[in-house]
Amino acid sequence: MAIRINRGVVGKEFPPYAVTVERGKIKEFARALGDPNPFYLDDRVGAASEWGDVIAPPTFATTFRDEAGAAALLTELGTDISRLLHGEQEFELFRPLQPGQTYLCRAKVVDIYEKTGKSGPMAFVVRETAITDRANELVATMRQVTVVRL
Amino acid sequence: MKYAKIYFDDVTVGAALPPLVKGPVQQIQLTRYAGASGDFNPIHQDEEFARAAGMGGVFAHGMLSMGFVAQAVTDWAGAGAVRKLGVRFAGLVRLKDTVTCRGRVLAKSSKDDVHTVELEVWAENQKGEKVVTGRATVALPARA
Repeated sequence: MAIRINRGVVGKEFPPYAVTVERGKIKEFARALGDPNPFYLDDRVGAASEWGDVIAPPTFATTFRDEAGAAALLTELGTDISRLLHGEQEFELFRPLQPGQTYLCRAKVVDIYEKTGKSGPMAFVVRETAITDRANELVATMRQVTVVRL
Repeated sequence: MKYAKIYFDDVTVGAALPPLVKGPVQQIQLTRYAGASGDFNPIHQDEEFARAAGMGGVFAHGMLSMGFVAQAVTDWAGAGAVRKLGVRFAGLVRLKDTVTCRGRVLAKSSKDDVHTVELEVWAENQKGEKVVTGRATVALPARA
């Protein structure tokens, strides 16, 4: 018996949350990927670069997690973590994320649609997150499609 | 030479990016990536949990493979060059899999002194099955 997904969460906006990027976290993330790029890892290379400091790898904003919001969303959708797969992910970067900066994340559920694949019925939950800096300028956006196996 | 600077003028449509081979993927890397990213979904760590979830065992975070693809792009275009990266996770990456990231230039354009290159990007496992497919946009410097 397939689970029913709660489409009522489309349009849901999560409470905004702030993230301050730590220098060590950027390096930990790059090393976990096995990416030795000195623009992420070497403070002297970063200081001499056009950005004046190290920068984060393109997918770093995935670390800007909202655990409380994600847990609440699972409950509202009527599913649990064991049913989830990552379907799609997109980042748009207007400039690199950098250490010491505080960013504000505003996330929203923009769509939910259902499809039946070879492994059965699935729901696709589309979330978008806008990331702004202290001057309220848009620095990056994320679009994430989570697949719920029904 | 790695991290050599590439100029917009020297990019040709249809050109291939140098392939980036990552892996074989090991459990310790998934554990390390969980810590670095904050994604502690046990489906990537706990064999029993992953089997009970019907996934046939542990598999890698999609975001690990996307990070590999991002590295292939920045190794070629330079750190900080990525304006957009969007992917679909087309297949699961399992322990011991080797992930080869590839890319190809689709188009190039200039507007208001910003020079951008559109790329098709993908990653495949050792059987040649695509595990990630996507697109990237990078901004490159032009020769003076």
